[in-house]
Amino acid sequence: MIQILIVEDDPNIAKLIEATVAIGGYQGTVCNNGKEAFEKMEHQSYDLVLLDVMLPDMSGFEIMRNRSNTETPVIFITAKQELTDKVRGLRLGAEDYIVKPFEAMELLARIEVILRRVKKTENTYSYGNISVNVEEHTCKCGEEEVYLTPKEFEVLVFFIQHKDVAISRERLLAAVWGYEYEGETRTIDIHIQQLRKKLKLKDKLVTIPKLGYRLESAKE
Amino acid sequence: MKLWQKVFLCTLILVMLAVGVTSILLLENSFTLAMNQKKQSVYNEHEFLITNFKSMVITERLRQNAVVLEEAQVEKLMKENMKEEAAGSTIFLDEERTQICTNKNESIPEELLLLVKKEKSVCMQGKKEKMYTASLERIEGVNYYFVTVQDISDVVKIHEDMLQRIQMISMGCAVGIAMILLVVVKLLLHPLQRINAGTRAIAQGEYEKRISEKGRDELSELAHNMNCMAEAVEKNVKALEDVAENRKQFIDNLSHEMKTPLTSILGFSDLLQIKREISEEKRIEYAGIIKEEATRMRTLSGKLMELITVGEANVEWQQEDMKQLFEEVGNSLKIVAQKQKMQLSCEAEEGSLLVDKELFKSLLYNLVDNAIKASGEGDRIEVQGYFEEEEFIIVVADQGIGIPGEEVEKITQAFYMVDKARSREKGGAGLGLALCTEIVALHQGTIRFESELNQGTRVIIRMKGGQSDE
Repeated sequence: MIQILIVEDDPNIAKLIEATVAIGGYQGTVCNNGKEAFEKMEHQSYDLVLLDVMLPDMSGFEIMRNRSNTETPVIFITAKQELTDKVRGLRLGAEDYIVKPFEAMELLARIEVILRRVKKTENTYSYGNISVNVEEHTCKCGEEEVYLTPKEFEVLVFFIQHKDVAISRERLLAAVWGYEYEGETRTIDIHIQQLRKKLKLKDKLVTIPKLGYRLESAKE
Repeated sequence: MKLWQKVFLCTLILVMLAVGVTSILLLENSFTLAMNQKKQSVYNEHEFLITNFKSMVITERLRQNAVVLEEAQVEKLMKENMKEEAAGSTIFLDEERTQICTNKNESIPEELLLLVKKEKSVCMQGKKEKMYTASLERIEGVNYYFVTVQDISDVVKIHEDMLQRIQMISMGCAVGIAMILLVVVKLLLHPLQRINAGTRAIAQGEYEKRISEKGRDELSELAHNMNCMAEAVEKNVKALEDVAENRKQFIDNLSHEMKTPLTSILGFSDLLQIKREISEEKRIEYAGIIKEEATRMRTLSGKLMELITVGEANVEWQQEDMKQLFEEVGNSLKIVAQKQKMQLSCEAEEGSLLVDKELFKSLLYNLVDNAIKASGEGDRIEVQGYFEEEEFIIVVADQGIGIPGEEVEKITQAFYMVDKARSREKGGAGLGLALCTEIVALHQGTIRFESELNQGTRVIIRMKGGQSDE
């Protein structure tokens, strides 16, 4: 299981981040003090660190400056939204910079991007009798290979990664088509219909009114 | 035109004019003197010649033994008397101004002869390089004009030579003076350039730059004043920057303080919305957090509103009886203190003070609220108000956790919390003391903190304009 260190002094926000990463299937460890977090980063290995900037005893920037293990990717999560802070954070070697308040799905999406970049994510996913190989870009339903367009493939992977989570059309657009994409949310609906048809997911990939879609986990 | 050029040109022109006028006047003077001497000698010669001729006529008359010499004989004598080799010319004319004889051809100015006729004495006139001397002489009963002409070119020549030489000297002087002036003016005005460069640097934003103040003349005075100005500007700019910095700090802190609860509220409501299945336990926990954080935001916005309204003009000044006011505040706060199992006393001497009642109450509430937050079960909190000379003094003392020495200065800053976790737990927004400071400042008072770690804190406020009833 992927280990994520959550460094956040506000207990409620720490709880929120922990619950959010749990959706993505990651194991979160909370630490509410800068010095302690630094010690943990130095002596234990994590796959990713979510780091607040304003921390008691030692700020997030200081931790970044002093850390010796630069392999572990770090994402800053902070209320400081000024560009200079952002640039400073990224210059210090952070992979990303998320400004509070953030949406749960946005945080997850960014975490996945980073993990994919450092190749910490799995190559294959499976859902029921459907198995997906990200590297080969293939999708099998049972033993039979199903041909999906690249976007359909990405949408499917996103849903499998976030089983049982309601995903809004906007979120899906941002995750699959990119943040700048200004297409219509109708595009999503068409892709969903295609997926349902090709993979016989009519009952599993359900529509949530006024929100979006959800892939429900196959229950035995 | 630059100042040094103006000073240089003006001085140069004035000096040259003075030199020129003086030398020309001197020259004219000496020329007149030389001319007068010349005139005297010419006059003497004229007299000598005529006397000489007159004696010749007498000698001739005696030789001929005549009573009177004939006109023709006189004229003959005149002609004999003409000497070619003489330096000057001698001319005889008859009464009708017709030339009788001359040794050199000269044109005689007519007006001179007319003048002689009128004045009946010796007259002189200089014309070009010649001096004409004329007189009307009566020889043997007949009137003759006698004119001598002398060359005065030597005097004129000397004059012209002198004039030329003076021009040369003047030119030389001009060049010399110009060079000296240039150096002197440049040297004298050099500090001005320094001041100029300094002020330009200051104008371009280098407010910490200072001009050197050497010497004791007006320029160093100017430099000194410029420095004073720069200092004032620097101070004001610094003050403005501080204000801007404080404001920025305030906004930064505010946005941080607002975003923290907002993040939890948004995040947990998001989780409640998107998750398919949530256990009852989790649902209650998430909703609880949302409620807690919303309450935190309400506290923050309430305190913020108070802080904003303190600065506004709607203050109602009234003489309030302190004893009554303290009792009122004490009664409502005692309930809060009792809930936390603390003892509270709130008393004041009788007397009135000009205050805004609501703000004053808010001040006491906030201070006691802080004291309660800092104290534990069984601790005492004392609030006292008394008059001392011209001042009303409020002391709020507790036996709580105290404030670390190095933090005391910062506690009145908005959003500053000594122990963030503890403050959050007790529902503080970090604005209480900032608000108190504002209220005290509005009442023109001072606020002071005396604190010892784990012993307690005393807040001492002094307000002017109190009036004791005793």
